[in-house]
Order: sequence, then structure tokens, then C-alpha cells
Amino acid sequence: MIKSSYTTYATPRFRILSDDQIHEIHLASLEVLERTGVEVLDDEAVELLRSAGARVSNDGKRVRIPSYLVEAALRTAPKRVTLCSRNGERTVPLEDKKVFFGTGSDTPFILDSFTGERRRSKLQDMINAAIIADYLANIDFHMGLGLPEDVPAETVDRHQFRAMLLNTKKPLVFTAHDEVGLSDIIEMAAVAMGSREQLRQKPLICLYAEPTTPLCHSQTAVRKLLLAAKEMIPVVYTPAPMSGATAPATMAGTLTVSNAESLSGLVIGQLAQKGAPAIIGGSISIMDMRRGINCHGAPEQHLLSAALASIAHYYGIPMFGAAGRTDSKVVDEQAAIESALSCLTTAFAGANLVHDVGYVGSGLTCSYDMLVMSDEIIAMVKRIMEGIEVTPDTLALDVIDKVGPGGNFLLQQHTRNYFKKEHWIPELIDRNTYDKWVQLGSKTLGQRVNEKVKRILSEYLPEPLAKEQVSEIDAVIARRERSKAD
Amino acid sequence: MDLNELGESLIQGEVDKVAELTKAALDKGVEVQRILNEGLLAGMDVVGQRFKADELFIPEVLLSAQAMAAGMDVLEPALVGAGLKLVGKIALGTVKGDIHDLGKNMVAMMLKGAGFKVIDLGVDIPPEKFVEVVEKEEVQLVGMSALLTTTAPAMKTTIQALEEAGLRARVKVIVGGAIVTQAFADKIGADAYGEDAIAAVDKARTLLSTV
Repeated sequence: MIKSSYTTYATPRFRILSDDQIHEIHLASLEVLERTGVEVLDDEAVELLRSAGARVSNDGKRVRIPSYLVEAALRTAPKRVTLCSRNGERTVPLEDKKVFFGTGSDTPFILDSFTGERRRSKLQDMINAAIIADYLANIDFHMGLGLPEDVPAETVDRHQFRAMLLNTKKPLVFTAHDEVGLSDIIEMAAVAMGSREQLRQKPLICLYAEPTTPLCHSQTAVRKLLLAAKEMIPVVYTPAPMSGATAPATMAGTLTVSNAESLSGLVIGQLAQKGAPAIIGGSISIMDMRRGINCHGAPEQHLLSAALASIAHYYGIPMFGAAGRTDSKVVDEQAAIESALSCLTTAFAGANLVHDVGYVGSGLTCSYDMLVMSDEIIAMVKRIMEGIEVTPDTLALDVIDKVGPGGNFLLQQHTRNYFKKEHWIPELIDRNTYDKWVQLGSKTLGQRVNEKVKRILSEYLPEPLAKEQVSEIDAVIARRERSKAD
Repeated sequence: MDLNELGESLIQGEVDKVAELTKAALDKGVEVQRILNEGLLAGMDVVGQRFKADELFIPEVLLSAQAMAAGMDVLEPALVGAGLKLVGKIALGTVKGDIHDLGKNMVAMMLKGAGFKVIDLGVDIPPEKFVEVVEKEEVQLVGMSALLTTTAPAMKTTIQALEEAGLRARVKVIVGGAIVTQAFADKIGADAYGEDAIAAVDKARTLLSTV
């Protein structure tokens, strides 16, 4: 048999913007950079831009970037960035439309899974977060999920990183106070990987730093961006615009401003070091016009995020997205809706490095329950993303004929061969009969999620780092704390 | 003269028209106090009520506040001439290390809209600068904003600097920002915490009555 021009969809297909619309937003972003420019509050970066051909205002702050500089940066930035686990496995290849989910960072509060209260985050909470993230099958990378109040404020970033590094072997996306903090963290990561060279060969860590919307690059952010580029540490340098407040109220305008910010960061990074691994995109949403908060669960967030992913695909540069988070203060029905819609849309869109799983309360609070519930949601999303396989065997004509009208398929070998592959098997989602559900304690999803959180924390032990490595890592922090005390 | 049109125009956020109508009222010899109370403040009261009832949204309220400020600019010389005082004077800034100013700017607009004289210091403001403005200008209130968890501690440092300069008793301090809470405000020794721009104005009014 000969078939002609037969097309197979291995996954569902989804597009928010057409090629022409993406190109239009690209051109608009170039126009913003050339006409309006960006504020760059760091002399070294301004000098890099100036000598490459950018126009700098008399006060040395406003930089107007000609389009060819952006095109050049897009050519030299790598099309793929692979993050590795602590034992060197290349688990997170950020390329094309491959999607990876992970947690979020720096939440000053935690919704305590044991007491139900919202309280300030502590170091032990970050350790627990890393243990849970390490355990969950659908969490591919980890961000800190905490901002502990019980460690010295000057070195909190190092303590955050230590809690992550020691308690999960998954790739780490981290934040640092400044370039000194960043260089300490690179040193700590190099200890875990064996050497600087090993760390470069097997990128365990990825810096997160952000421009300030609209169109500003703070000195602290740029110093970190430059250091990461020179050290070839992958860097997510992406904005967090709020449509209607720090960006235009229109979706297209918000995409344009955000993209201009990402692209100008990319130019700075590539000027500092050609080929420096970079991730663009952003935590992009609207401001709620009644309450003034940065919405983490709005439909516009999913829409904008999906569009931003398409723009990143157009450039062929890895993209940073956000999902599995909510504006709800607790893990309730709203949280479930917002997590599910965001996880599904972002997977449809093919965003690469999707963070913030486990956030509640618009990003100020972390919740283990939210993380565990979203892990189950991502499992469902993964099944949807597998699409439908159409082959002679899956069309099942022989077995349909064999069973015939009025029969059933339960006893067929075909069913036995396929059901586990084709049907998703839930862990937390309830499908009991009513009586069975009552017998099991009439528990809600929230209760079952909470039980799983407690079970993980009481039973699961992540793979430890060698003692000598831990002491070397501790020595980095201790040295810095002594020098700060002097 | 009917001042309803002025109030209505303010509710609609018509900045230029509010300035024009205020000037027209002054030209016609309407009493300054009446223009303020029956025109501008009456309009702003409606705006505040409608916002609290979820009928108006932040951009609409801010435009009305801007219209109010435009009216106040026209009215101010006459107010001073009549021996009437402005509501109060506040210095505002985003603290050292932080360049996020959306929240601070919203508060500034709302305070101007409520008739406050606002000295907006800008962003990345070190403690010395806050101390300097308290020394030089007769402000009753100091407002500080921070978005980042790493910069919020600068609020405490600034309050300490005011104490060290012997100026703490002279002013009331109000703080705000995404990561700030009432508990944090209490801990660092601030006098009030504004959870949003509207609340900040209410708190500022209350603080003023205690200065």
C-alpha cells in the first residue's frame, strides 16, 4: 500500500499567534529598542553597548539599541541550553518545544501544611521544599520556594542555595543578592559537581535575574547578568510585567515591552560573552485593576505566556514560563482551576522552563500542598500532550471484529497490551464509588494531597552529598560571613 | 455657581476640565472653601465610595486623583491667601537598592488627590536623603516603599537614621509594598502600614490627626 502526503500529529497542536503576528511583535520590539531605548544603570554594560554601536544619552543611562545588535545577539545566543542533575544526567534539555516544570523562588511566606497558618518562611521549610521537589516525578527542576527569616540577611541567598543543593539532585534555578552572592553560589555548585570545569560541562545551575519593567536594567541585575555570561552560567533574564500598570493594557503592547526587555538583556549578555547560555520569556501577566495585585492565575497570564513561548520559538531561544500557581490564599477550588489551566496552556504552548509550581497568594507564599496537587495536574497534562497514536494496531480493527456487537473488550489481549499505555492512572484524583469513598473517610482532594505531603516528608530521603563536599560548601558561607562581620 | 459640574468632571477624571472649571469658579468669585468642599472634595468622596464598592477601577481613580491635583494647583494660591492650610505634607520614596516605583507613584497620586502636598523623592533613596528632607522641609509624614524582600530591611535602616538624627519624633512614618505586612511595619517601628494606595491615604489622614 502506498500512502501520499500523510501527516501525523505526535502531540496536540496549539497556536495563539500566527507567524505574521509574531514577526510583527518582533519588529515592534526592535522599534521600541531603537526609538525609546532602555535605561541601563551600570557603566560597564553601557560601555559595552556604546562601543558596539548603541546610542547613549548624555546622562549615560538611556541606551537606544539599533536592530542589527539585536539580530547579532539572536545569532550568537545558543539555540539550546541543557541543565543537568547533580549526578550529571542531562535531564532538562531546554530546546525547541520541550516542556519542563519546576518550583518558584523567594516566597517570604509559607502556608504551613501541618498547621494551616500562613507564616514567615524558615530555613527548614526550604529544606522540606527541596525534598518534596526531589521526590515528585513531574517536577523537573527546583527553585528555592522560600525566603528564610532565620538566617543572616546578608548571606540569605547562600543559605537558600545550600538548602536546595543538599536536598535535591534536580537542576537548580536560583537567585542571588548581587554579583558577590552569585560568585559564592557558583563556587558552592562547583564543589557539588567536582570543579568549575565540571560545572561548565554539566550545568547544574541557572541564575534568575530580572530587568525592571518597563524598560529598566538595574545595576544589581546587570552586574549579575554580566558575571553569569562571563562564567557561562545559564541565565534566565526575564521581566515580570503587569499589563495595564508597568506595561500597556493591551496584550500585544505588553508582549512588545516584555520582549524588548528580554532582547536588550540578551544583547548585553552576548556582548559580554558570545554564546553565553540565555533563556528569555518572563512571568507575564496583568495587574488586577480593583486590587492592584500582580495576577498569578489570570487567563491573560496563560494567554500572554503562551504567546511569549511562540515568540521564543521564533527566535529559537529557550523560554522561561510560569504555571501551577494561584492568586488564591489557600489550596482551594480557585487554586485547582488556576493551576490546571496554566499547566495545560503552557504545555500546549511548548514553554521550556516553566516555574512557580507551588505558589499561592500571588507569589508571596509557597505551599507544599499546591506543589503536590499541581504535580498530579501535570501528570494529567502530560497524558493530554501525548496525543493520540493512530496505527493499524491502535485502530484495533481485528479486535473490534472479534468482539463484535454487544461484547466487551475487557478480556482481550489487545486491552491488556494497551490500557496502561493509553490510559492515565491517577494517584490522588478520586474515582471511587460513593460508598467506597465514604468508607475511605470521605476525603476531599485537598485532604488527600495533604496526606501525601506528610507522607513524603516522613518517609523520603533524598540522595545526600558527600560529607567532605558539604563541609566545603559550608566553608564558602562561613568565610563570607566572617568577612561581612569584619 | 453650581459646583456639581466640577465634582462630576472630577469623577470622570477630566484633568484639564477640572482645572478650567476650578479657575472659572475662582474668577466668578466663588468662595475658595466652597470650591474645595462642594466641588473637588465632594467629587473625590464619590470616587472613593465607588472604588470601595468595586464600581470604579484603579486607573479611573488615579485619573480622578490627578484631576483633583490639577484643581488643587489652581486653588492653592487662593487657599494660602485665605489663610487655609493644605491637608498635610509628606515625603515619599522607594528605599535604597530598589527601583520599583509603581506602588509609590500610585500612593503619591492618591495623596495629591486627597489634597496632600507630596514631595516625591524618587527611587533608590538612601536613609540620608530621607533625613535631609525631614530636616529641610516641614513634612509631617514620611512614606517608604519597597517591592523586594532584599530591600525591605532598608526601611528599618531609614527609621534608625531618623532616630539617630533626632528627627523621629517630628514625623510619622508609613510604609508599604508587596512584601510588607502590618507585622513587619510593627517590627521595624513604623507608625502605619498602607496595604494599598487607598488605604495609605486613609492611614495618612489618621496619622496626621496625631501629629
